[in-house]
Amino acid sequence: MAGLWRSRAALLLLSLLSPLVSAEHSFENTAIVRTVELGGSLVHVTTTYAVRALEDGSSIYTVALAEDEHKKTSWIQAKMKGETASLPLEHFGLNPNTGAYLYAVEFPKALKANASANLVLETVQTHATYPWPQVAAQKDQQYLKYEADLFVLSPYYTSVQRTKIRAPTPQINAYTTPEDMESFTQDAPVTKSGATVTYGPYSNIPSSANRDFVEGVQKRISVQYNYPGPKLEVTKLERAAEISHWGANLNIQDNIWLHNAGPALKGHFSRLEFQSQNYYNKISPSTLVSIALHLPAGVHDVYYYDLNGNVSTSRLRTTPSVPKGSNSNQYTLFEMRPRYPVLGGWNYSFTLGWDSPLADYAGYDKESGSYLVGVPLQTLVPGAVVDEAEIKIILPEGATDIKFYPPFPAVMNSVSEHITYLDTKGRPAITLQYQQLTDKHTGVIFVSYKVPFSAHLTKPLAVATALMGLFALAFAWKRVDTRIQK
Amino acid sequence: MATKAYTLPTNVAPETVANIRSLVRIVSLALISAAAISSRLFAVVNFESIIHEFDPWFNYRATKLLAAKGFYEFWNWFDPTAWYPLGRVVGGTIYPGLMATSGVIYNVLHALNLPVDIRNICVLLAPGFSALTAWSTYMFTKELKDESAGLLAAAFIGIVPGYISRSVAGSYDNEAIAIFLLMFTFYCWIKALKTGSAFFGTLAALFYFYMVAAWGGYAFITNMIPLHALALILMGRFSSRLYVAYSSWYAIGTLASMQVPFVGFQPVRTSEHMAALGVFGLLQIIAFAELVRSHVSSKQFQTLLYASVVAMGLVGFFGIVGLTYKGWIAPWTGRFYSLWDTGYAKKYIPIIASVSEHQPTAWPSFFMDLHMLIFLFPAGVIMCFSKLRDEHIFVIIYSVVASYFAGVMVRLMLTLTPVVCVAAAVALSSLLDTYIDPTEPVPEEIEPTEAEATPQDPAKKSKKAAPAGNPTSLGEYFSRFTGNTNKPRGIFGINNRLIVLFNTFGMLVFFVIHCTWVTSNAYSSPSVVLASTGADGNPHIIDDFREAYYWLRQNTPEDAVVMSWWDYGYQIAGMANRTTLVDNNTWNNTHIATVGKAMSSSEEVAYPILKKHDVDYILIIFGGLLGYSGDDINKFLWMVRIAQGVWPDEIQEPNYFTKQGEYRVDDRAPDTMKNSLMYKMSYYRFNELFGGQQAMDRVRGQQMPKQGPTLDYLDEAFTSENWIVRIYQVRKEDILGRDLKIANAFEQGRKRKKTKPPVRRRALA
Repeated sequence: MAGLWRSRAALLLLSLLSPLVSAEHSFENTAIVRTVELGGSLVHVTTTYAVRALEDGSSIYTVALAEDEHKKTSWIQAKMKGETASLPLEHFGLNPNTGAYLYAVEFPKALKANASANLVLETVQTHATYPWPQVAAQKDQQYLKYEADLFVLSPYYTSVQRTKIRAPTPQINAYTTPEDMESFTQDAPVTKSGATVTYGPYSNIPSSANRDFVEGVQKRISVQYNYPGPKLEVTKLERAAEISHWGANLNIQDNIWLHNAGPALKGHFSRLEFQSQNYYNKISPSTLVSIALHLPAGVHDVYYYDLNGNVSTSRLRTTPSVPKGSNSNQYTLFEMRPRYPVLGGWNYSFTLGWDSPLADYAGYDKESGSYLVGVPLQTLVPGAVVDEAEIKIILPEGATDIKFYPPFPAVMNSVSEHITYLDTKGRPAITLQYQQLTDKHTGVIFVSYKVPFSAHLTKPLAVATALMGLFALAFAWKRVDTRIQK
Repeated sequence: MATKAYTLPTNVAPETVANIRSLVRIVSLALISAAAISSRLFAVVNFESIIHEFDPWFNYRATKLLAAKGFYEFWNWFDPTAWYPLGRVVGGTIYPGLMATSGVIYNVLHALNLPVDIRNICVLLAPGFSALTAWSTYMFTKELKDESAGLLAAAFIGIVPGYISRSVAGSYDNEAIAIFLLMFTFYCWIKALKTGSAFFGTLAALFYFYMVAAWGGYAFITNMIPLHALALILMGRFSSRLYVAYSSWYAIGTLASMQVPFVGFQPVRTSEHMAALGVFGLLQIIAFAELVRSHVSSKQFQTLLYASVVAMGLVGFFGIVGLTYKGWIAPWTGRFYSLWDTGYAKKYIPIIASVSEHQPTAWPSFFMDLHMLIFLFPAGVIMCFSKLRDEHIFVIIYSVVASYFAGVMVRLMLTLTPVVCVAAAVALSSLLDTYIDPTEPVPEEIEPTEAEATPQDPAKKSKKAAPAGNPTSLGEYFSRFTGNTNKPRGIFGINNRLIVLFNTFGMLVFFVIHCTWVTSNAYSSPSVVLASTGADGNPHIIDDFREAYYWLRQNTPEDAVVMSWWDYGYQIAGMANRTTLVDNNTWNNTHIATVGKAMSSSEEVAYPILKKHDVDYILIIFGGLLGYSGDDINKFLWMVRIAQGVWPDEIQEPNYFTKQGEYRVDDRAPDTMKNSLMYKMSYYRFNELFGGQQAMDRVRGQQMPKQGPTLDYLDEAFTSENWIVRIYQVRKEDILGRDLKIANAFEQGRKRKKTKPPVRRRALA
């Protein structure tokens, strides 16, 4: 609902602000450097805009993302260079005139004419790479292809622009050499050194966030590179977090559907070959043999099973709780080994759950009488994108005044009722739905609620009543004579 | 007053004694239940909460459907994924009692807001019902002797391995609830017989119905009760109590049992059920005759009456025989014949004989399953003769019949176990009674029986009125054989008592130790998961089955058809959720033989069969690498035999043996064996694993040929970590329409042209 309103508001704003947004005169880019860190499912892109103001009091800068780029971008953040605080980003949707998605960034201080600033835009792209070749035999290396636009779009004039594409290994099989680049550069349009392919520098690029440029000048580039790890996708993640005050426990259970999105296995899986690869420590990088998951410190009673029962191949190394608020980096290491090596194109699904002391996550505010619980948004599967996530937070029975503060706006959220052990009227449950979660989507969903004292007592009262009823029945049964004849 | 070996406190009020006795009884029963349940949890503690073996996987799958979709959906369930392409009407071909029980428990718990997982209900159902079995055995034995014998019997049945073997946690099979139903039905029958109560007769009928709905072994009750009734009649013990009990049981029980679709009209149309019907008819005739006799006094009339009774009985008997010949009543089924002739199944129904639990029982397994009870059992049965009330006759008949059956089939050890526990408890409790009793024998004058009053057991007082011929203690019982009753006989002093009691106690302790050991070591393996010890001494789990099934489930098309030997059908359906050709519900022999034929033929012959049945994957079990002896090569001869039964011209068992009559897989194996699909799939690329050295099959202990088999029509699709499960994909037809073998040779021939073309070419021609 909120999302809908936000987009409507954005449309409204867009129609009002269009003249303002397309004002190309307030800024110019002295330099744009885009660095692309290639990965498996996730590609991290950092774009630095060196900006010079042309007018006094310019504070709203517009950033443009091409249509395709916008579709792949799952996480976006703008910062001033060298600072930690992120800047508010206003999303204006697709502007049909420009053929690009526009974001407005407000600088912390308005710039005077000729003053300059450095803006860093970080994005994470998902599903931006695909295996190429699309099939690979069990022993083959894994090559992925990344496609992007050559120029960074900007509604402003740009003096110099360059794009660095960094692959995880120096083994880069192929990259596009753009043609007809004389108007932008006199040197080679692309150079490769080690694991980095650099496009540019290109100079004197006109305002590019418009149809003419996108259709006339913009070019596609692609890089085919070796990726030394499995390209993982979590097609679906279901997290259920259950808060129990009686048990002083926070139970978190994840149902994870994994998919190896690397090149599909050509031919068939041969155990013999796999065992000899294993022996020589030469298992193909696209094969998922195990993943290390970092669970919070202090968890206990960890369980991991799939539809066929306990995953006996997995291992766990626990760490005791760390005091709340301390800046400790400790975690419980869970080595998840799927029952079988997950080769390209294969799937594996499993359930992982644990208990942790509620005190590590919850606090009580005496003034307002409400509890505040922080539930981690997700447990990162290294290098994987989560296509769909459903996070359900189950509050104690009888909780009222429920408020929740997710670190990222959810696609959809709802409050429902959940009935579990010894409940009489059910517990309120908050469900948040997300799409395309990346490794940047960490954080904590804060939930605040009040539980009246009477609600704490419902459970023991219900159990006591049931037991008393049972005793009363037994008592009556023993003492009432049901015989007809004496 | 007689002297005492030790003195008992006398200043305790009788009510206090009664109350304490009742409390101790309840506490003992609760403890016995706890022991029965917890000793069955070894499987969960050592492994995990998992469904065991083969059949339980189907029951579990059916229960899941029942819990998810409701009873009517379950009742009308047609399963198209089993017995492909035939499908299976599940609702009409199963005993639904087990699933219904779990479904009821599931729904009740969920109605109480206890959302227990259905799997846990299924896993823990058998231990839960074992507690009920202990209680019903207590009730049954109490009717035979007294409460203390009942408690002993309950404790025995609670932990005896013979029963645990089929009721550990996770062993979610019909037997899990059937033994409770068996014992409770018998208890109700005994109670009905003793009191002549139609209420208990009806109760027996209702539990009989539950038993019919739960287990095919209900035929045991169907024949045991009529046999008992007949014995009573022949012994001249006909009474109105017998008449009421039997008639109410038979009439209600039979009508109720016919409501189970799988049973249907069998109770009136098959030979197995005719005994019950015949005795029912006989009872009516006798009751009628008794009625007439009580009103008529003429001696001649009575003779006439007896003659007519006998004539009517004979007419009835021959009527049944005649109907059988006419085909109105089905003759004994093969499974029943195999009980009388142990060689019958092997000859005519190899599928039954191929199951290991249908083999005759080996002697050591009696000791393993029953320990000291097997020695106490005959003593208990003999003691039943000494009193010989109606219920004792029942126990005697039960023990004779069950002993025979247990000797025929390993599986039927299960029906013997309860009566062994009962009889052993009677014997042991008599022994204890005799030696705990503080009364010293009194010399001369006083009759021994008069002195035998046990002050702490009021139940025994009634027995004093019994004639002196009924001895109440062991010592006295033996004194009868020595013939000399003038000298005072019995137990003198406290030392003698203590020696015997101490020994008995020691035996009981050993019994408990033995039961615990057997349970934890022999009967608690889920067989889906194998335990071993790693190189560092830590327990290591061999999880190949679940690995392969899960792979099938996750990475093959949902409508893929998997062929395997029937043993694994239920597991594939349950764990991999894929369509199977044959499974453990061995209803269609021809279909199983088809799979057997495909497995035992050469690739060329098997391929059309596979194509005809739309087989996408073939799953086999191979233990050669790890030494897992329950693999398909060891079962292979049964496949051959079953296939031979249907296609005697194409498959012949002797072809799979060497000339010397040995079953080999090495160089000396005959060509038929080496070319069979099963052999090829088992050993495909096996010798490459040994890196140039000669491969060794660790199950057969034979060296494999240097040249491994090649496959033309199949591709290896998946092999589990320890090679226990191997899955092959059936190749699609060649796109150029060539035979796959030729196509394959063509491809390889081009590649290998330089190395060895002549061999290839010659092989082709």
